[in-house]
Amino acid sequence: MAQTAQSLNHARPPEAGHSVKRHTGLMDWITTVDHKKIAILYLWAGGLFFGIGGLEAILIRIQLIKPMNTFLDAQTFNELITMHGTTMIFLGVMPVIFALMNAVIPLQIGARDVAFPFLNALGFWTFLFGGLLLNLSWIMGGAPDAGWTSYTPLSTSTYSATHGVDFYTIGLQIAGLGTLIGGINFLATIITMRAPGMSYMRMPMFAWTTFITSAIILFAFPAITVGLVLLTFDRILGANFFEVGAGGNPVLWQHIFWIFGHPEVYILILPAFGIISEVIPTFARKRLFGYSSMVFATILIAFLGFMVWAHHMFTTGLGPVANALFSVSTMLIAVPTGIKIFNWLFTMWGGQVRFTTPNLFAVGFIPTFTMGGVTGVMLASAPADFQFHDTYFVVAHFHYVIVGGLVLGLFAGLHYWWPKMFGRMLDEGLGKWTFWTFIIGFHMTFFVQHFLGLMGMQRRVFTYLPNQQFDLLNLISTIGAGLMGVGMLFFLTNIFLTSRKPADAADDPWEDGRTLEWTIPSPPPEYNFKQTPLVRGIDAFWKEKTAGHKGMTPSEPVGSIHMPSATILPFLMSVGIFIAGLGFMFSRDTFSSDALSFLFNNYIVTGLGLLITFGSMLMRSLFDDHGWHIEPEELEGR
Amino acid sequence: MVTEQHPQEGSVKHRHRQEGPQRHIVVFIFSVVLTLIAFAAVAAGGVNASFAVILLLVMAVLQVFLQMGFWMHLKDKGHLMPIIFMLGGFFIAGTCIVMALYWVWWD
Amino acid sequence: MTTAHAEAVKGTLPHEPEKATLEGRNKVLAFWLFLGGEAVLFGTLFATFLALRNQTNDGPSANELFHLPLVAAATFLLLVSSLTSVFAIQAMHRNRPALLRSWLLVTVVLGAAFLGLEIYEFSEYVRHEKFGMTTSAFSSAFYTLVGFHGAHVAFGILWISVLIGQLVRKGLTVVTAPKIYVSAMYWHFIDVVWVFIFTVVYLLGKVG
Repeated sequence: MAQTAQSLNHARPPEAGHSVKRHTGLMDWITTVDHKKIAILYLWAGGLFFGIGGLEAILIRIQLIKPMNTFLDAQTFNELITMHGTTMIFLGVMPVIFALMNAVIPLQIGARDVAFPFLNALGFWTFLFGGLLLNLSWIMGGAPDAGWTSYTPLSTSTYSATHGVDFYTIGLQIAGLGTLIGGINFLATIITMRAPGMSYMRMPMFAWTTFITSAIILFAFPAITVGLVLLTFDRILGANFFEVGAGGNPVLWQHIFWIFGHPEVYILILPAFGIISEVIPTFARKRLFGYSSMVFATILIAFLGFMVWAHHMFTTGLGPVANALFSVSTMLIAVPTGIKIFNWLFTMWGGQVRFTTPNLFAVGFIPTFTMGGVTGVMLASAPADFQFHDTYFVVAHFHYVIVGGLVLGLFAGLHYWWPKMFGRMLDEGLGKWTFWTFIIGFHMTFFVQHFLGLMGMQRRVFTYLPNQQFDLLNLISTIGAGLMGVGMLFFLTNIFLTSRKPADAADDPWEDGRTLEWTIPSPPPEYNFKQTPLVRGIDAFWKEKTAGHKGMTPSEPVGSIHMPSATILPFLMSVGIFIAGLGFMFSRDTFSSDALSFLFNNYIVTGLGLLITFGSMLMRSLFDDHGWHIEPEELEGR
Repeated sequence: MVTEQHPQEGSVKHRHRQEGPQRHIVVFIFSVVLTLIAFAAVAAGGVNASFAVILLLVMAVLQVFLQMGFWMHLKDKGHLMPIIFMLGGFFIAGTCIVMALYWVWWD
Repeated sequence: MTTAHAEAVKGTLPHEPEKATLEGRNKVLAFWLFLGGEAVLFGTLFATFLALRNQTNDGPSANELFHLPLVAAATFLLLVSSLTSVFAIQAMHRNRPALLRSWLLVTVVLGAAFLGLEIYEFSEYVRHEKFGMTTSAFSSAFYTLVGFHGAHVAFGILWISVLIGQLVRKGLTVVTAPKIYVSAMYWHFIDVVWVFIFTVVYLLGKVG
């Protein structure tokens, strides 16, 4: 199927004209369906939320800098930790992952776009409006304060009476819808849009991890959607899923949350594995060691990731059988992960390693992530977990895997693919400053937290008493957090200075590019490949280079290229869902103005929002998008 | 089984076998019978509860297999990815069911 | 494959018009993926229902509540509608748009009848049995699971109705065919979910 995929784009319905309405400025960004522009949208949106989450982290650390601090009150602290976790996981790192997937995956598999450009835009806008809805809580009566896991009964209306948790449930449902759409899109893209010759076992590792990640998204996000719906119904419609008094069960929430939540952490880390597997071979000038075992390990991690959720719940009292079962399955994950670690080390072994900024981040990733993995195995032991549970040891563990793993991976990927996305190389000097300040700050912040946890410091508590030996370690931790902030500032400065330089990056700016994205201009033209390339092996571009060829052999003659039309409908659909969510959230409130009460209490606002969404869907269905064509003369003219 | 030959045009290489309605009517009758067995077992009463659970689930799974195989064409060629992802979905759904049955309530 | 497209342009449809274009094939594949996700969605709802099935909070229990004849009628309606949607796809593969439209119409009517029965059932429970969303954990789980399915049926009815309209306006083409095929997949999947609902919720509820 992949072979015929591209050529079919050429056949065009007779009525499709060549004229195309091109938007400029803001309209261009709102209506775009080009995966490269959507990647940039994801990057800016992710960067915005990442910044918000980072500021929240700094505030948390300032509060904890000394015992009995009064910088924040307990309520604000609870809101900050809740929003820090939720924002970072769902709105900070996920969109940056999607940014890299969007920017790179179609290029790596030799496609002109994703399978569903329209859905791609829809996924982005629903994610963005979900994230905005969640963050509106800060200015609309208080943010959610029940922790990022939102455990019941704390998060039920009895104990959390403001709208905070409603913003959490409804905002995450909307953002989650966007993520699910994105996941399905990437699955379909990788299954059907690969260039001729690119079999599954010739795909770059980042394409593989994107594929598996998307599959996990597909199976994990519906579970949390249901969980959030149940919590919403409990809070707004008075249902009893988690109300013990009416027969409900709070443990059910924990199960549903973690059946999603544990796969979610693999959704986060697998793309980082993919990035590292691209960066290390490039800068070692060697092919990835143990490619097939990498693929196998990725699939195994994805499968096991669904089988371990209850290790977050050892202390709920599941009993020895369940605890033993989930202990063993959790420890099993160390095996495929270990395979990956060794494969990266063996890739570098005997290679001509260049320590460019992306490679520094990739090499820094390996020991840092391994430390997080090792504490994971410690936590997997149920009896030990009874001691570690809800202490800073857990906080240290998951920051080692998420920041020391994923964020370092994202930094590696961003520095590596920045020239491909923007046509400009980030400054190497500033990049190295970013790396060193960030990684030193990171270890300062979180390494000491292992010991804080072992000494008994509880997580999620807004302050602590003096003279428990917590003081110095907390001070070190806060200074480290500041240093990570400095690292981020270096990165932002680098982006700003780079954006003022001319866009002159070469097609293959690292000179040792191995995969298809380095065969086309930086940034690529909107059709990506003038001629779809013919793939003759793994690391397709490297293979041609070693055979003495300058570029890829095309698999088709130059012909007219069919492009999808820009459209505002994805944006409108997302606005509609946003309005409907807000309307539903306030449907039981009394307002000072009668007119407002009437509009909200009779579900008129909700109905209006749904009308916009379904109306836009109807428009999309009724009016066919014939797209437009780029003719061969135009291709040659550039 | 009636098979109509689709008229060949141009250079279409593979031949299409046009399925008749009979096969689907057979699946329909099977579905009705399986449903009837399930309803009858419950309506008649007096069936041992644990036996009823097994019987009803077997009837349901058989019916779902038939419908997904024939009506949704999963038995046809070129459905490897759909089968993989449907099995994946059902597997995770089954995991959730196990969770609900064994790990939500305990003494 | 280019042949298929040439035929489409000439005006004669290929045998399986839903798979004639890359867009069509992508659509069918992605819809399968989506159904995999839907399986997890309903799996989680079933899990919730099973966990809370006995938590009646002194309200009506499953055994007191359910009337099998009503459920049997609803089951039969949905099963027949699944068959008629198979016939619709067969009509599409034979390139007989008028017959296709009729079968789709029958499907929609049967689906609407099913939905009517479900609304009647819910309203009976609320009015006569004092069994509402807030009665018990069991009632919340029941309404959410069966209601989610009902909402899927309602969406399917609207969707297929819109497609019938498009068939009238645009005819059967390589653009409309994948939409119809995918809506039929959706409809079958709704029936598959219902098989589990009548088994797990109603019949096993009666068994206790």
